[in-house]
Amino acid sequence: MRQTGKVKTMRTGWNSQALLGYLLVAPLLLWLAGTILYPLMAAINLSFQNVGIIGTGGQYIGLENYSKVLGSGKFWDAFKRSLVWVIGNGLFQTVAAFATALILKQRFSGRGIARVWVILSWIVPTVVVVIIWRWMLGTSGGIVNYLLVALGITPEPVAFFGSPNTAMISVMLINSWRWFPLMAVILLASMQNIPQELYEAAAVDGASPFQRFLNVTLPGLQPVLFVMGLVGTLWSFNVFDVIWLLTGGGPSSGTTTLPVYIYEMAFKKYRLSRAAAASVLVGLFLLLFAVLFIRFMAPKGEEEGE
Amino acid sequence: MTGVNFYRVRRTLGVWIPVIVLMFVVIAPFYWIFTGSIKAPQEIIQRVPTLFPQSFTLQHYDKLFSSSDFPQYLLNSTIVAALTMIVTLLLATPAAYSLYRLRFPGRDLIFKVILVTYAFPGILLLIPLYTMLTHIHLVDTLWALVIINVTFASPFAVWLMEAFFKAVPHELEEAAALDGADRATILARVMLPLIAPGLGSIAIYAFITSWTEYMFASVVIISDVNRTVPVGLAGIIGQYQVDWGLLLAGATITTLPVLMLFALVGRHFVEGLTAGAVK
Repeated sequence: MRQTGKVKTMRTGWNSQALLGYLLVAPLLLWLAGTILYPLMAAINLSFQNVGIIGTGGQYIGLENYSKVLGSGKFWDAFKRSLVWVIGNGLFQTVAAFATALILKQRFSGRGIARVWVILSWIVPTVVVVIIWRWMLGTSGGIVNYLLVALGITPEPVAFFGSPNTAMISVMLINSWRWFPLMAVILLASMQNIPQELYEAAAVDGASPFQRFLNVTLPGLQPVLFVMGLVGTLWSFNVFDVIWLLTGGGPSSGTTTLPVYIYEMAFKKYRLSRAAAASVLVGLFLLLFAVLFIRFMAPKGEEEGE
Repeated sequence: MTGVNFYRVRRTLGVWIPVIVLMFVVIAPFYWIFTGSIKAPQEIIQRVPTLFPQSFTLQHYDKLFSSSDFPQYLLNSTIVAALTMIVTLLLATPAAYSLYRLRFPGRDLIFKVILVTYAFPGILLLIPLYTMLTHIHLVDTLWALVIINVTFASPFAVWLMEAFFKAVPHELEEAAALDGADRATILARVMLPLIAPGLGSIAIYAFITSWTEYMFASVVIISDVNRTVPVGLAGIIGQYQVDWGLLLAGATITTLPVLMLFALVGRHFVEGLTAGAVK
């Protein structure tokens, strides 16, 4: 009786429901079309011209910007650094996020509060993150260097941003410090969705905690790891402000990843069109990455409808 | 007896020490900037750092508010964040309702398009958005920042709403419809109160996105009076002689609104964040 009533209202209401549905998503879709789709087209258009500084006119010069960018060693250096950046961040964050999720999964009083406030470093502005770490890692008066020297770990203060390699590692660690808590709470929520019975069954079979982690936890996390691998990589690729504000891309371009390269090209060297061409190329690389990642890493089986 | 002690020791080592280390890693840096901001200048730059402040002064805050442009930056950031919140709520809430509660052809496709936009790297839009904003004469206005921030906040906001909309049973709406309520009334009286925590989460996400945004603000804003806090503070970092007291006070003040908002709806925010990801 109730069931039929439900079906009936659904049927009679269908047309108006569809109309309402479109009406309600339309503003957002139009907004995104205007601020993402249109600018993308404009970027492609701009990349075939020779506009330098904004407001100056440009002529169409065909593929010249593309050949200049692809032929430039600096672009490929930045490309390699972006690769190192994404992999390094992925490693640091995955390890820290797994450890954090396993810690917060345990029972202890106050864990509800801990699970919320652990993402503190992710919600504060990046400029605050930068101030914190520049101050703590400073060579004179920085607490980290003071402790390193006082505890005899290093004979003298370390210039964390002094050489290209140490600067890259320092910025990666700082960025990871900002992001790992977010990854951790997502992992944690996903771990709690794994049925307890699976762990109990494994325990009955005599599996050690490590084996349980390997054979129950990891497979259960596959879908969320896939999404995090894809979205996390894109997000981490995109990081600009932490790098720029900590090192400005230096020293000797040691931390100039592709976003920093594009920003500098457009707003420090005033080559807007060439920077647009670099953006388009980067967009294509990322698209290729996303397609390959989905093609080869998507969790197999149980493709559930709905 | 010894068994109990052994259990206790194990629990201390296995549970409490990792928890304390974790919270230390996350929280200690904030303690460090806050205490730094109330230390006298001599104490800030002294060679041996002091774990607990030996001096107390509000001079850095005083300087920040009376002889720097920081109040202006704070006002600008607040305006941009508030407008970003409002526009994001207005765009994302109806869209989320439509995608999670209604059925219509093409819904899944639209949903996927929105998913793609939230993973979309903003750096690819830096140049074209800047060019577009120049052409429509919005460069160097706070509106330009609102437009940019809404673009980056709203796709994720739609996604955040999923858990909240899905938690509302369809029977509730149907029951209200049987009582003769029209759709608008149902939305206002039944739906809205139930998804309020979700709206809070969206609001906080939009606020945080806007409050932290640096890259676009650094190129789209030209005049000093229109600068937001991140760009303003970055200007102080870049000075030849860094005034750490001033900077730490600025960082503390910048963190406060985020902390207050998060204290209010942080729990719902994390819930929405994780529920969407886990599904």
